[in-house]
Amino acid sequence: MDEQPGVSDEYRLSSPWPLFVALGLTLSEVGIVLNLLPISVGGLLLFVGSVSGIVQDAGYIDRPWGVLGGLGAVLVVLGAILVVTQVSPSVDALLDTLGSAMAADGNANVQRGLSVAMAGLIALLGSVAGRATGRRSIEAA
Amino acid sequence: MEISGALLPAIPAQGAGVGTSGQLALTVLMGVFLVAVFLALTRAEDWRTYTPLAGGGYGESGHHVRHKPEGITRWLTTVDHKDIGMLYGLYAIVAFVWGGLAVLLMRTELFTPSMDVLGAVAGGTNAGNALYNGLLTSHGITMLFLFGTPIIAAFSNYFVPLLIGADDMAFPRINAIAFWLLPPGALLIWAGFFVPGLAPAQTSWTMYTPLSAEQAGFGADLMILGLHLTGVSATMGAINFIATIFTERGKNVNWANLDIFSWTILTQSGLILFAFPLLGSALIMLLLDRNFGTAFFAVDGGSPILWQHLFWFFGHPEVYILVLPPMGIVSYVLPRFSGRKLFGFKFVVYSTLAIGVLSFGVWAHHMFSTGIDPRIRASFMAVSLAIAIPSAVKTFNWITTMWNGKLRLTAPMLFCIGFISNFIIGGVTGVFLAAIPIDLVLHDTYYVVGHFHYIVMGAIAFAVFAGLYYWYPIFTGRMYQRSLAKWHFWSTMIGTNLTFFAMLLLGYNEMPRRYSTYAFNADWAPLQTVELLHQAATLGAFILAFGQIIWLVNFVQSWYEGPEVDGDPWGLRDTSLYGREFEWHERRLQTAVTDGGEEDEVATDGGVDETAAEEAVADEQSDE
Amino acid sequence: MAPDVFDRETLLDLSVNVIPLFIILFFVGVFAVLPQFGYSLVPTLIQMALLIVPFVGLAILTYYSGKAIATSEAELEARERAVAGASAVEGSEETGELSEDEDAQPIEGTETDGDEESTASNE
Repeated sequence: MDEQPGVSDEYRLSSPWPLFVALGLTLSEVGIVLNLLPISVGGLLLFVGSVSGIVQDAGYIDRPWGVLGGLGAVLVVLGAILVVTQVSPSVDALLDTLGSAMAADGNANVQRGLSVAMAGLIALLGSVAGRATGRRSIEAA
Repeated sequence: MEISGALLPAIPAQGAGVGTSGQLALTVLMGVFLVAVFLALTRAEDWRTYTPLAGGGYGESGHHVRHKPEGITRWLTTVDHKDIGMLYGLYAIVAFVWGGLAVLLMRTELFTPSMDVLGAVAGGTNAGNALYNGLLTSHGITMLFLFGTPIIAAFSNYFVPLLIGADDMAFPRINAIAFWLLPPGALLIWAGFFVPGLAPAQTSWTMYTPLSAEQAGFGADLMILGLHLTGVSATMGAINFIATIFTERGKNVNWANLDIFSWTILTQSGLILFAFPLLGSALIMLLLDRNFGTAFFAVDGGSPILWQHLFWFFGHPEVYILVLPPMGIVSYVLPRFSGRKLFGFKFVVYSTLAIGVLSFGVWAHHMFSTGIDPRIRASFMAVSLAIAIPSAVKTFNWITTMWNGKLRLTAPMLFCIGFISNFIIGGVTGVFLAAIPIDLVLHDTYYVVGHFHYIVMGAIAFAVFAGLYYWYPIFTGRMYQRSLAKWHFWSTMIGTNLTFFAMLLLGYNEMPRRYSTYAFNADWAPLQTVELLHQAATLGAFILAFGQIIWLVNFVQSWYEGPEVDGDPWGLRDTSLYGREFEWHERRLQTAVTDGGEEDEVATDGGVDETAAEEAVADEQSDE
Repeated sequence: MAPDVFDRETLLDLSVNVIPLFIILFFVGVFAVLPQFGYSLVPTLIQMALLIVPFVGLAILTYYSGKAIATSEAELEARERAVAGASAVEGSEETGELSEDEDAQPIEGTETDGDEESTASNE
């Protein structure tokens, strides 16, 4: 430090992502626990999007689409697991549950699982779209 | 077969009782919000042109340094450890005010035995009791998680990199994420008070099951979620500090001359790393019990006592998470006004580490009265007695440091001495509580409340004030008003001792804690004594509040109008006690002008002109 | 903690953690010899584990931190000796006025233990 006086002052960075990573995590937690579908889907999208953005921002990856797609896939799997825990192991029961899931008196955990999976699916689509259009970053998409 | 069968509580469908139109409105709101975020990011892209850096390494960045953006954007997007430290500080002070106001309401209620003040505010005795419980819960959680932990993070973010000769934290962005998790966390924790239709959680900060699992209302869910977020934040911060102290030290700093504050932060981070994830998991389990129909803490499931074990396995280390860095601040500041080096520096280091390890072996001393096996209980008592030694060692070190020293009774020094005084009372009362027979008598009385407030207010907050006063010139470039600072100290010292000593005596009179009224049968308790002591405690609380108002006024006013000071406000330059952080501060003052000038040449890409550079420098000194 | 690993000074510093270790050990002995609540496999096992695990943890951490600090100290001393060799006069200025009430601290890097020096400049 002595050899580089004032280096702390020259070393200045700022990044728009941390705020949104935090907000995304907050919204997704609130949305999932209180079972508010729009909040959980939006919050999860914000979260995975910001994580991909910040990872790119930090220079670990060149383009965010791989991470975005990967996280989306993880969400789809997690959501599916939550749904499957709520139904007996038969295809009929699964379809039946899914069919009535979004009714007002549906199983809340199925709804939660579906919202997570839905967010993951949108993230996956976003990832594919991003790759296809060859954009460099999320905010330029 | 659905898991949420008859055995388990029914899971609320389509949560929070939001109807279809509500869902639609939420969808629209969320969509608008996401678009706004998207636009903000697109705009941010314009100035986000510096070289991306992985994990805060430095060196390559030399030719691409940029100024921070202007105004509010600077604070929203900063990843500079000093800015983040300031944000933590501001946040903690806001939380301190909230927690303080909550307890003032409670103390006002306790001025008389019956439920009157809060009853009048909330409308009815039951509503008043509920409000009291909500305030009690909010006060505890706010002071521990939203004031205590963040204010320590404020110091550590600002100073650890400076003290160890690092350029920034190891992971600056994670540092920023850790901070930004806190404001939403606080909003969720406090949501019960200001969101219409929600009631504040009434679980107390320990959130014991089955009360917390059964309590109706989303206020409790939101509080648990908020607490979970602050836990995630603390864990991220801790990982960052461990990585920073291990890998980013300057070449002149090694384990032998690492400063005492960084040692305590390192130990604290280790504790956080092992304790907070556990809290996070336990909270998730509680949320699952509340909302997803699981039975982790149900009587015929995992048992409510499981919660106590999980909670206190986190909760006791949390005590040391909160107290170790303040001990570090005192060990750091005290010698500078004693004219002597810290006596037995390495005793303090080793005893800090000892506290770190032993703190994980004492958790069930909070549960002596829960009926656990007496053999197991005895072991917890033994380790609890053993952990008193390292704390006592430090106390003797501080006293010996002052012994025959050239004491200068500045405000930070007064707070350090107050810390030691209060810490001795808080510590000795704790040793008694660690003994099972005494604990069984005093359990859940005001004695416990008095004991831990002597530590959290009398010691931790005092050390925090010592640090704030000592480093005020670095934060602001100015000096606070000394006479106001002394007023602050004496009112805080007197208020603390009046309030919490009265609580110790109340405990001896078997006044149970967490009660909003104390109109007991006079045959059971010496009511007059109890009432008098409660009134003394309330008076003390208001003296305390008075002192904190002086402090706020002093800090805000001095920020704008205080006399500017140079890099050596404490007259330590010619001694061996001149710290690295003040060396850095002095260099900053000297290079402040050229600093801005240099960078203009390279920063061609967005809005940095001469005035902006000067403003940024002025910001550093006077902004927050 | 053999003497060849730590010198006398370091052992003295480490003694601060020997006291809690001793207290724990004392209780292990007391509970083993005078079991007030009798022996029973699981509770006694937990009882002993709750004492022995922190004991071992603290011993290990004390050992490694002591070693790390002692090693760093040796490095510092070596570096200081090199500096002092280059300019023998400069060294004496750094001790400053504050150490005057310490016993015999003549010239930096000569006789005194590393403890005093490192704390002088940094704590």
